[in-house]
Amino acid sequence: MPSALTIKAALRWLTSFLLAGLLLGSQALYAESSKVVVMTSYPQEVVSTFEAAFEQQYPQYKLEVLWRQSRDAMAYFKQPPQPVDVYWTPAQRNFAQLEHMQALAPLDLDLTGLPEQLHGYPLRSSHYIASEIAGYGMAINPKAIQAQGLPSPSTWQDLTAAGYHGKIGLPIPSKVGYAPPLIDILLQGYGWQAGWNLLQALAANAELVTSGATFISDDVANGRLLAGLTIDFFTASAIANGAPLQFVYPEITAYSPAHIAIMRQAANVEGARAFRDFVLSEAGQRLLFHPDVRKLPVRPSAYAYKPADYYNPYASNIGFIYDSKKGLARQELTNALFDAIISLNIAQLQYSYEQLTAATQKLGADAPQVLKARALLQTLPIPEPIDTESSTEITSPDKAQIQAWQLQMQQRYAEAARILAQP
Amino acid sequence: MLTTLALSQESQVYTALESREAYSQPISPLSEDELRDFMQGRTLVRQSWIIGPALDSEIQGLGPLYNRNSCIACHAKNGRGFAPTNEHESMRAMLVRLSIPGKTLSGAPLPHPFYGDQLQEYGAPSVVAEGRASLSYSEHTVSLANGQNVSLRKPQLRFTELAYGPLPKNIQTSLRIAPAIYGMGLLQAIEEKTILTLAAQTKPGKIKGRPNWVWDEEAKKISLGRFGWKANVPSLRQQTASALSGDMGLSSSVFPHGNCAPKQRDCQQAAQTVAPEINASQLQQMTMYQLALAVPKQRQAGDAMVMRGKQVFERAMCAACHQPVLQTGDFPGLSALSHQQIAPYTDLLLHDMGPELADGRPDFQASGREWRTPPLWGIGLAQKVDEQVGFLHDGRARSLLEAILWHGGEAEASKEQVRTMPDEDRQALLRFLESL
Repeated sequence: MPSALTIKAALRWLTSFLLAGLLLGSQALYAESSKVVVMTSYPQEVVSTFEAAFEQQYPQYKLEVLWRQSRDAMAYFKQPPQPVDVYWTPAQRNFAQLEHMQALAPLDLDLTGLPEQLHGYPLRSSHYIASEIAGYGMAINPKAIQAQGLPSPSTWQDLTAAGYHGKIGLPIPSKVGYAPPLIDILLQGYGWQAGWNLLQALAANAELVTSGATFISDDVANGRLLAGLTIDFFTASAIANGAPLQFVYPEITAYSPAHIAIMRQAANVEGARAFRDFVLSEAGQRLLFHPDVRKLPVRPSAYAYKPADYYNPYASNIGFIYDSKKGLARQELTNALFDAIISLNIAQLQYSYEQLTAATQKLGADAPQVLKARALLQTLPIPEPIDTESSTEITSPDKAQIQAWQLQMQQRYAEAARILAQP
Repeated sequence: MLTTLALSQESQVYTALESREAYSQPISPLSEDELRDFMQGRTLVRQSWIIGPALDSEIQGLGPLYNRNSCIACHAKNGRGFAPTNEHESMRAMLVRLSIPGKTLSGAPLPHPFYGDQLQEYGAPSVVAEGRASLSYSEHTVSLANGQNVSLRKPQLRFTELAYGPLPKNIQTSLRIAPAIYGMGLLQAIEEKTILTLAAQTKPGKIKGRPNWVWDEEAKKISLGRFGWKANVPSLRQQTASALSGDMGLSSSVFPHGNCAPKQRDCQQAAQTVAPEINASQLQQMTMYQLALAVPKQRQAGDAMVMRGKQVFERAMCAACHQPVLQTGDFPGLSALSHQQIAPYTDLLLHDMGPELADGRPDFQASGREWRTPPLWGIGLAQKVDEQVGFLHDGRARSLLEAILWHGGEAEASKEQVRTMPDEDRQALLRFLESL
């Protein structure tokens, strides 16, 4: 039989246990209501800049960042329930997919001052909205280019000049996250055939880049490369941090928007709204000018505060309107073709183009040998897919298909080199 | 941006770059392999890590409990951290060490059974974060000889949302901002006998200085401590592995068991079974990156004001601890660091800094009043590299003058000299520090 002392002790324990439980429960509730979970693939500099400013404006909320690259993020979202309130990242395809999966909450915010499109380029859908823009172009080292006695490039074709041989960086779209639209801009801007032939000519002069674009700006800044095809913010940030670089937007270029959306199953809807609205607010948009961020605001009024020489896409004219839906739909295909035509055949491609240049100088551009070799070099594995006008995603080619294209191109490069080597 | 790559065969351990990338340059010469490891290490130090499971398996393993998800979240641009300005701000570049009275078998502070040795404010989705720490400040003023008042803020720590129950009354806490990570290779390359010789030397006034002898997790023996605010870690490799484990929950061969405290069952259950989460080459590359980070060269060394400040620095006995000239020894791991005359402005020794800076938390042989002399090289560029910086171990000092005025204990006389010296001398001293 338990003694009175034991019963008292047990009661005391029970009371303190319940009190502790209540206390912990209320703390957990408080913690949940203050936490805003944001999924992103932004680099730490961007996250830290926004985190600090958001918490200053909304001290009642604490940002919790779940970091994932776009491919990993989609895998994560496909295994619900996941505790994400806001998705904020440069991965347009993911947003389209999430919208299709009905995983996003409807766009419900004051859109005053936020344009629907930029140069015909849509900036929002019914469930997600662009939060910043990045532009494509060339990072160049003006001093190093001048030292080589070369003219400063203003078009993509300028980088195919002999003086740039071995001195430009070209990212591989299947390896470098920002690169697929960059490649597709050339394909859409110049047309399928001419676009691929321009990419081949660029590759003939290039060092292929497989990792993040900061390495392109590093190598251009230290003079190892003279120029690199890249996205603007890496270079703009490097310039703001003292790098001797310049960024050139060619006439044929386009923008890549990053988006923000609230998840349909967000646990903290109020907090999620606060963060989204902050990102899109003028204060949030002005953070994009920070030297470590250097992205382009979507809110035009923010440009009134831009640093000197900062690019304003709303005040610039571009040569054509890039169809991002078309680009996204055929992204896997163009990545695979780039590998087959360029990355996996880079040595053969560069050798045959060197032969072509030498033969052109020696025999003339219209010499039958030169014409025959050029036609061979520039023949593509496939014509432009006809269904890419729609936004239907094109099935990714399998390994065997890519290998077959690679082999086809390898033989063409070898045959072209053989023809050019004939006396 | 890297603007100074290996071009000459003569070792260049300093960089002349003064931009916001001044703490991010490699020493030279580096071999092709060393440069590749440096670049890979840089990528990893900049990497935002992922809570597993994930498709990007190379960069997964964050948590289950963690403070931040990347090294540069705290060491922005390889620089120093800072303290929140008020109680509403998160600790974005600092953390709170925890322990209870006593020592582990190796002599380390005794971790709290539930909270471990560090408060982690974030948890993986299935794991409740440990709690939240916030800082408020009490301010007081110190009068300089010219009548100018300098306001000093003293941090007061508060815990909320504690998930594993309240902390005991005898909990020992220590606030630590992230230290800068450049020049670490040169500090590693200083020979042990050099540091012990400094400890043995007679110093002016009440200044002493002694080494911290700490547990070497890899050598499984007691070794000289040289890294960390209390010199409680013997090598840069262990410092790196320790931060990966404690701050991000990433296990490595050095600390294979993650950071869940013994009684944190949900944390233990959520922890990845596949270890280590940081593989051998990743740890080697991250260590190489820090070993090879150059130090900013002193600027305007010939300026009259700077030269006068240097004399004041010596006259006020600052140089007794902040050693302006040291020599590195043989360092086969990275030969460019070998036999270099350097100016780190540290002796890597522990000094009693008085009651105002005391954390009351002993760490191996360091008492609750002792701190390792922090290096001063590159400190003049801190605010240029990142707008938000703090000085002293807990970031309470918002300027170099505030940091000096907090000195006490062995440095009390130096502090008093600075406080009472003619204004021009004090300005010259600050100019000198800003030139470093």
